Amino acid sequence: MTNASPEAAQGSHRVSGAALFALSARRVTKRFPGILANDRVDFDLAVGEVHTLLGENGAGKSTLASVLCGLYKPDEGAVLRNGTQVRLTSPRHGLLNGIAMVHQHFRLVDRFTVAENVVLGHRRLPFLLRASELESQVAEMAERFGLPIDPRATVGELSAGQRQRVEIVKALYQGAEILLLDEPTALLAPPEVEKLFETVRAMTATGKSVVFVSHKLGEVVDISDRITVMRDGRVTGSVKRGEADTRQLAELMVGRDINLARRLSRSAKGEPLLALDNVTLHRHGSDIVKKISLNVCAGEIVGVAGVSGNGQRELAELVTGLQVPSSGSITIREVSINGIGARQVRANGLAYVPEDRLGTGLAPSLTIVDNLVLTRTRGFFVNRRAAQVEAEDFITQLEIKTPSALTQTRKLSGGNAQKVLLAREIFSKGDQSRIIVVCSPTRGLDVGAVETVHKLLDEARSAGKAVLLISEDLDEVLTLADRILVLYRGEVVHEVNGISVDVEAVGHAMAGLS
Amino acid sequence: MIIGRTRIELEPRLNSPRWLVLAVPLASVFLALSVGGIFLMLNGHSPVQTYSKLLSSGYTTFYGITDTLGLATPLICTGLAAAFAFRMNLFNIGEEGQMYLGMIGGAWAGIALADHLPALVAVPVVLAIGALTGGLWVLVPAVLRAKLGTSEIVSTLLLNYVALNLVNYFIFGSRGFFRDPSTSFPQGRAVSANARLGNFGTTNTYPTLVIAALLAIVLWWFIRNSNYGYETSVYADSPNTARYAGMNATRLTISVLLVSGALAGLGGAMYVVGPAGKVDPGLLQIGLGYAGIVVASLARYNFVAVVITAILFAGLRIGGAALQISSNPVPIAIAVVLQGSVLLFALGGEIFRRNRIRIRRTQPVVFSTKADA
Repeated sequence: MTNASPEAAQGSHRVSGAALFALSARRVTKRFPGILANDRVDFDLAVGEVHTLLGENGAGKSTLASVLCGLYKPDEGAVLRNGTQVRLTSPRHGLLNGIAMVHQHFRLVDRFTVAENVVLGHRRLPFLLRASELESQVAEMAERFGLPIDPRATVGELSAGQRQRVEIVKALYQGAEILLLDEPTALLAPPEVEKLFETVRAMTATGKSVVFVSHKLGEVVDISDRITVMRDGRVTGSVKRGEADTRQLAELMVGRDINLARRLSRSAKGEPLLALDNVTLHRHGSDIVKKISLNVCAGEIVGVAGVSGNGQRELAELVTGLQVPSSGSITIREVSINGIGARQVRANGLAYVPEDRLGTGLAPSLTIVDNLVLTRTRGFFVNRRAAQVEAEDFITQLEIKTPSALTQTRKLSGGNAQKVLLAREIFSKGDQSRIIVVCSPTRGLDVGAVETVHKLLDEARSAGKAVLLISEDLDEVLTLADRILVLYRGEVVHEVNGISVDVEAVGHAMAGLS
Repeated sequence: MIIGRTRIELEPRLNSPRWLVLAVPLASVFLALSVGGIFLMLNGHSPVQTYSKLLSSGYTTFYGITDTLGLATPLICTGLAAAFAFRMNLFNIGEEGQMYLGMIGGAWAGIALADHLPALVAVPVVLAIGALTGGLWVLVPAVLRAKLGTSEIVSTLLLNYVALNLVNYFIFGSRGFFRDPSTSFPQGRAVSANARLGNFGTTNTYPTLVIAALLAIVLWWFIRNSNYGYETSVYADSPNTARYAGMNATRLTISVLLVSGALAGLGGAMYVVGPAGKVDPGLLQIGLGYAGIVVASLARYNFVAVVITAILFAGLRIGGAALQISSNPVPIAIAVVLQGSVLLFALGGEIFRRNRIRIRRTQPVVFSTKADA
């Protein structure tokens, strides 16, 4: 105890006083260049408990989870397993201590079967694998925790929800007692989320413990026995089941009052600007986009909801001229844009905010100024002087946090990068672009930035623009859209007016149940 | 890395300080010389003496400098060629062959056209045709890469061997257009005097050096200010962004590779206009095309820096060659070892430019619950 600080000694007292915790963090500090990701964080997970780490993006919750599973080594502080300090050197070492993490981005081999993926990396495998034996083992394990999955299916053909089940089965197969789930609901449709929760309950019933990392306040209240809220790398509060009040948690998360209610300013609907008629995209033997007809009028936001991978990206690329439809027609102000190319479509007054900000919408190593030039008409020489003035305008108006207009966009935070992208696309010079296609504009952004983005889109609508909002975030679509279409397997399976929405019906349509 | 209680960590730098941009290459050269010194000592040579002779023959004597500048001239061109393609992530490693083709094309123009042209126009025509043939030599790899995604690394490399044997065939294997008909000794047919530029005084430096250096500056300015330069920068940084903005990736890829080939071809044509005056198989021996890749990466694909690294590199060659002419000759292999280690250390040094080294003493804080319990 010679090196321990007085606070640390107190901390250890607390541990010994209470029942032993399955997993604890004591004053964990983790720094990344320029960021203090975890600042003296304490965290306790009791046996058989679901403990949620709640916080905005960048609050440090994923970092803490990574420290707990052995992926990161803490700069200071310690991780305790059953009350004894463990120095985890790798995720594998974590696994030997019964700790496993299911990452937001799955780490599976697409070409392997479910069973092969599950046993991959397991220590005690025989030299020769007997597929049928492994398959029955995996099937039995999956059955026990209510995770229906075909061990012989190829992972590459599974949906996001199914892949997640594979990850969970894999963790259990390798002997995990503690499961860390990083943003597990991000890619799931509402019914799949419910199924995940059932699995989590089945696990805790057998004495396993679960850490649930999430930024979705609404859904964690039901499942959690305890919620610990993080902000800016620190723990701002911790509440037990029943004590939780959504408003209070939101305040702990954001550090101020936020308005969670829907904010809508309806404007009169104008003439139709963008129209799709029976548009189909046929690729590799299947219809990725299937007979979609829709139109977007001036002064309205049409929301396209759906679980990721149901043709959203392709729909956006068709409308913006990056792909050519196999059949059907797309018109802007009754002029066909089929096959005229992205540059011409833009010239016809269409702006596009792609889902992938850095890497598609913005060139990461180029400056803000150079990125503003990207979708403008350029002569033989590039006029950076005008763009510089424009950039400085945007920086002050939208409060973009950046050292200067000549900063590389990859050095900006997600929210600031998105502001640059939106500014470029919405406020194009001369205001000639009247149709805006926006894809998942707030993914990965914190609450403050989400508010700005929503305000910008709302203003664009009020200014008489036609907005096509394609988003996997159902709440976002519900908040903004005047009309909602649900996309499932490339088809519009549900269409509803944005004012009188039956959320449950939309959820069912997203899962393909309608 | 952990040694005892000391932990050595690499931490990405958010910004590289300016002084490092110079310090890292200088340190690399120093370390490379040290490594070369070990080899010299093993061979029974004094490193200090050898290096001072190498430096004086390469850089400090009058004829040393002028020889260096003469050799650097085509090297600047191949260096620019490599930099132009590599900064777009198009790995044209066929500068060698494209340079040979530039020599062939330039010699053809010098023999067939130059006599019918006024002296003032002849040299530019020879250079232009050399650049054109160099560019055409990369046309097939460029189209294959742009349309089918075929690796340009493999196709351009293989064409180097075709080009090499083409030159050998013209001089040694046939009595065709490029071979000197007046003698049975296998050598190239001389180009018209119209197509040659005189050297400066009695040196081996030619006015083409000025053209190469100006070209580097023009290219640097053009890429920074033109729409074409902008589009290549976007495409180099993020092909998806280029596609999103509606840029034509096929056209960009093909044009960049063609310009790269043309620059290498220009180097070959400069060799004709300057020292050679004919198709000269001597060019096959000095590997200026491959050296151009080294020069470009040392310059980190900056066109103006290519001029400097090309001159430094040429100096090593000239100095290395001079070391062989003495009572106790140093093998030319040593100069090659030096070039190799300069490149290796310079590329390795990038780690230190991009990352910060942190040395921490790990102070384990002991947390125990058992002690209190």
